[in-house]
Amino acid sequence: MKVTVEQIDRQCEEEMIVRCHDPGAAWVESVREAASGQRMICGWREDMMRRLKLSEVFYFEVVDDRSFVYTQAEVFEAKEKLYEFERLCAGSALFRCSKSMVLNTEKIDYVRPSLSGRFEAVLSNGEKVVVSRKYVADLKRMLGV
Amino acid sequence: MKIITLWIRRYVTVYGIIMLCTFFMCLLFNPASELPVVTYFGRIMVFTLIALLSLSVYYSKEELTVKAWWVRTVLHLLLLEAVLLPLAHHWGFWQSGSDILIYAGFILLAEALWHLADYGLSAKTAAQINERIRKNRLDQRTRKD
Repeated sequence: MKVTVEQIDRQCEEEMIVRCHDPGAAWVESVREAASGQRMICGWREDMMRRLKLSEVFYFEVVDDRSFVYTQAEVFEAKEKLYEFERLCAGSALFRCSKSMVLNTEKIDYVRPSLSGRFEAVLSNGEKVVVSRKYVADLKRMLGV
Repeated sequence: MKIITLWIRRYVTVYGIIMLCTFFMCLLFNPASELPVVTYFGRIMVFTLIALLSLSVYYSKEELTVKAWWVRTVLHLLLLEAVLLPLAHHWGFWQSGSDILIYAGFILLAEALWHLADYGLSAKTAAQINERIRKNRLDQRTRKD
C-alpha cells in the first residue's frame, strides 16, 4: 500500500484522508482510532449505531449473553464479548470489576465496603456497581494504591 | 502464588479464632481440664480444615446477590454447627446439654468475628482507594488550572 506524508504550514489544519476500497475495513478503523487518539467501541441503540470513545464508557456489562455499554445517561448494546472488550481496554482506565463487568476507574466517585465481602462503587452519575473482592487488587494497582 | 498466600492467611486466622474459642470455653467451664498439647493442636487443625472446606458453599459461577450471600452465610453456619458439634463432642470438648448451647454460641461468635474482621479489612481498603481517587482528582484539577 502506498503511504504519502505531506508536510504542511503551521497555519493549515492537519487532516488525514484515507483512500480505501472498504471504509469498514479493520485497518481503516485502526487509522481512525489512531487519528482521534482514542480507542472506540460501537454501541447500538434502536438500530442506530454510535461510536463511543472508551473515555465516555462508564461500564460494560454482560447480561444473559448480551453485552451492554453504559455511558453517563445512555445504554447501548455492543457486539463484543466480555473478554474482547477487556482486551480492547488493555492499558486504559477500564478494568474487570466482576464476573460480568468492566468498569472505568475514572468514573468512580468513591467505593464502600459491604458485609458480603464485596465493594460497592458509586459512580459520578450516581449509579452503584459491585466490585468483587477478587478484582479489588487490580483496582488498587490501576489507581496506584 | 497469591491464592496460596491468601488461603494460608485464612487458615492461620481461622485457626487462631478456633483456638481462642476453645481456650475460653475450657477456661470458663472446665478450668481443671488437661489437654495433651499435640493432640489439642492437631484437633484444632482438623477443625480449621473443616471450617475452610465449608466455605465452598459460597462458590458460584455467577456473581452472588446480597440475598444469595445471606442465604449461603446461614447455610454455612448451619453446616459448621452440624459438623463441628458432633466432632467436638466426640473429642470431649463438650459433655452436657447446656455445654452444647455454649459451644454452638461460640461457633456463631466465631462466624460473626470472621465476617467483622473481613469487613474491617474491606473498610481499610476502601479508605485507601477513596484517598487515592481524591488525590488523583486534585492532581487533575491542578493540571487543568
